[in-house]
Amino acid sequence: MRAKSNALSQGFIRCHDCGYLVKTAERLSSCPRCDSHLHARHPHSLQRSTALLLSSFLLYIPANIFPIMIVNQFGAGEPNTIAGGIVELIDSGMIPIGMLVLVASILVPSSKLIGISLLLLCAHFRWQVNARRWTTMYRIIAFVGRWSMLDIFMISILVDLVNFSGVQIIAGPAATAFAAVVILTMFAAEHFDPRLLWDNQQNL
Amino acid sequence: MNRSPDYHACPECDLLLKPALPNVGEKAHCPRCGLLLLRPHKQSIERTFALSIAGFILFFPANLLPMVGISMMGNANTGILFSGVLALFNDGMEAVAVVVFLASILFPLLHISLSLLISGHLYFNRANRYLVHWMRWMHHLDEWVMLEVYMLSIIVACVKLMSIAQLKFGWGLYAFVALIIINTLLTSGLDEELFWERITQLRNRKNNAS
Repeated sequence: MRAKSNALSQGFIRCHDCGYLVKTAERLSSCPRCDSHLHARHPHSLQRSTALLLSSFLLYIPANIFPIMIVNQFGAGEPNTIAGGIVELIDSGMIPIGMLVLVASILVPSSKLIGISLLLLCAHFRWQVNARRWTTMYRIIAFVGRWSMLDIFMISILVDLVNFSGVQIIAGPAATAFAAVVILTMFAAEHFDPRLLWDNQQNL
Repeated sequence: MNRSPDYHACPECDLLLKPALPNVGEKAHCPRCGLLLLRPHKQSIERTFALSIAGFILFFPANLLPMVGISMMGNANTGILFSGVLALFNDGMEAVAVVVFLASILFPLLHISLSLLISGHLYFNRANRYLVHWMRWMHHLDEWVMLEVYMLSIIVACVKLMSIAQLKFGWGLYAFVALIIINTLLTSGLDEELFWERITQLRNRKNNAS
């Protein structure tokens, strides 16, 4: 059941790359304006997005358990997890910066994982929802994703700058896992097609 | 086939729409899902061309001059974008190093070069069969250019280090800030619909001439 006002149900396909509208009846496989492949919806949107999301759920565990960086001071190593780094920042009185890191590296990734799961469930089970609100949620998820790279960039700066004979900062195993989570969730959001939310609404 | 289309569709809710023709300074939103569809800018091609040149030039000082210097217990060290990548690589974090390299150095450079190439061709009315491919690459790269995220990480890293070491900001950092400002103006002022229309025009003219 597709909503009547959708371009697809009226015989048009919108090119993903340049936005050109092509009549379905013309049976073109590529866009006349930009030559990219034409698909009415992202191909295998739900399957691909689910696969990427499940992998990031798995990687999210090591990303939070293992140390993300290790501070070596005169031979004694002090491991730091993501949460530990934030607690340290807040303890030393840098509350605004601590909050910023808390949002970027804990709240954003976890709410992204939950948000994409909800979107996938909604599209799969054809829940009758306020599609406008859900599309807004999708838009927020797609927008904030990249900001979680903050922690990864910060580690690259710290590892580079603090490299003296007495004190060293070394990247820990969680860094790889965390970077993978951020990138996989970005891909998951990119592969999710918000138009599926609208296709499933019967009362439009 | 190459006439301008009679209809548009919203990319996020697929609502079939008559093309809105907002004036400069006006915005067109999708009436059903609220997505910002069009926001035409004044002289988008000229501005994109000018900003791309400036961004391309600034890219080099931002990457080559020292950004942050640190001194601690008599030792001193300076860092640039690439030295951070190298440090991660030497720590055995090859995957993370590659990601940082792509998001903070290679993709920004590619993005600026592509927008310089495209806007340059459009500005001088030159057709090129690769224009279409460049536009598509630029469109996909957009999300992976993370300069402003990197800027925030510099701030957080500096706050962390402030209490234990002396920090000094170099010219590289100022060039980097300027590059971010230019990059933001560039991406927000780029009118993709206008660019596509002009590319199609150029291609048709070339086909008719030959």
